[in-house]
Amino acid sequence: MKKTAVRNLRLCTKDCLCLYVCPTGATDTENSIIDTDKCTGCGDCAAACPSGAISMVVTHYPPQQQKNDDVKSILTSLAENRCRSERIARQLARKTDRPGEKKLLTAIAISSRLVAEDIMREAGFMLPQSRCTHELLEKILADPPQGFPAEAARKLLEMIEIND
Amino acid sequence: MKYVCTVCGHVYDEEAEKVPFSSLPPQWTCPRCGAEKAMFDPLEEKKERGNDGSTDESPEQGQGETKLSAGVLAAVFSNLARGCEKQYKAEEAELFAKIAAFYTSLSDDDDTDASPESLAALAQEDISSTYPAARKTAENKMDRGALRICTWGEKVTRIARSLLSQYRKGGEELLRESEVWLCTVCGFVYIGRKPPELCPVCKVPSWKFTNVEGGEM
Repeated sequence: MKKTAVRNLRLCTKDCLCLYVCPTGATDTENSIIDTDKCTGCGDCAAACPSGAISMVVTHYPPQQQKNDDVKSILTSLAENRCRSERIARQLARKTDRPGEKKLLTAIAISSRLVAEDIMREAGFMLPQSRCTHELLEKILADPPQGFPAEAARKLLEMIEIND
Repeated sequence: MKYVCTVCGHVYDEEAEKVPFSSLPPQWTCPRCGAEKAMFDPLEEKKERGNDGSTDESPEQGQGETKLSAGVLAAVFSNLARGCEKQYKAEEAELFAKIAAFYTSLSDDDDTDASPESLAALAQEDISSTYPAARKTAENKMDRGALRICTWGEKVTRIARSLLSQYRKGGEELLRESEVWLCTVCGFVYIGRKPPELCPVCKVPSWKFTNVEGGEM
């Protein structure tokens, strides 16, 4: 499987061994982001990095795990509730003028969204490259709600290839 | 006798602590994750849960075409934006985020029912029925990922409910000289001067926590 190197800037300790071992100069960039056009995927930089800041990432992702319909259905109802929790918490946070309560409700709103995102990931929307993501975008584009950013959806359909 | 925290699994051992659990003051909270005393259960031999030999009895719902609400669509798309970010696809991430923002505002109509009580009731409903039902289906279908989110999600929902209840009792005092910390991975919320060293729910290090300022949405 073809791979490409990526650097986690948070872990990079600038030991620069990647510069010494890279055969193409892909790791030598102004912004510290490895140049994917030059990277051959050899993995020498990841092996040499003493901080474990470079990982080798596949360029084509394997198909995501298939999900059972019952699992999708129950997880979707759970996500519906968590999204309602997000909405209520957000509205209450807007209304209150007590600073502590505002923070707590804001945190609960974001927390509810994070849980809902994770649930929907397990309900079949793990990879942007999945067929169901494409089908969802196409379905929305066929009859978009008013104000829907259709241009963004069209661009995504063009840019992301289906992998399953 | 031992008691276990239903959020983080911390065990209170009466013998070691030399104080009976029942004698702890009502405002006592879990030393690890901050959950209230009421979130502790007596520790018994492992409860038998799930497969009692019964076959799959989860309701067969004609899934087919489930219509997702604007709120869930917002979560689906913000999650896909996150997925693109992790794959270092910045432009795609931005496009997904734009669609997510559209659905977030679309879903944000005023909920006439919005109150701290309805928020707590919704958490209660999920803890007592939705999560157990989801867990059962996940077990029957042997879906490890779905089981994992049932565990994390339920714990995160429990701590949210507990903090709402603590706020109802203690008011602004609860947050005096404390910050509100949010685990950006699983959504665990913690009140304290510093974030926990490890998230008690998903075990990521403290730098994955963010200090919630309020009003940034």
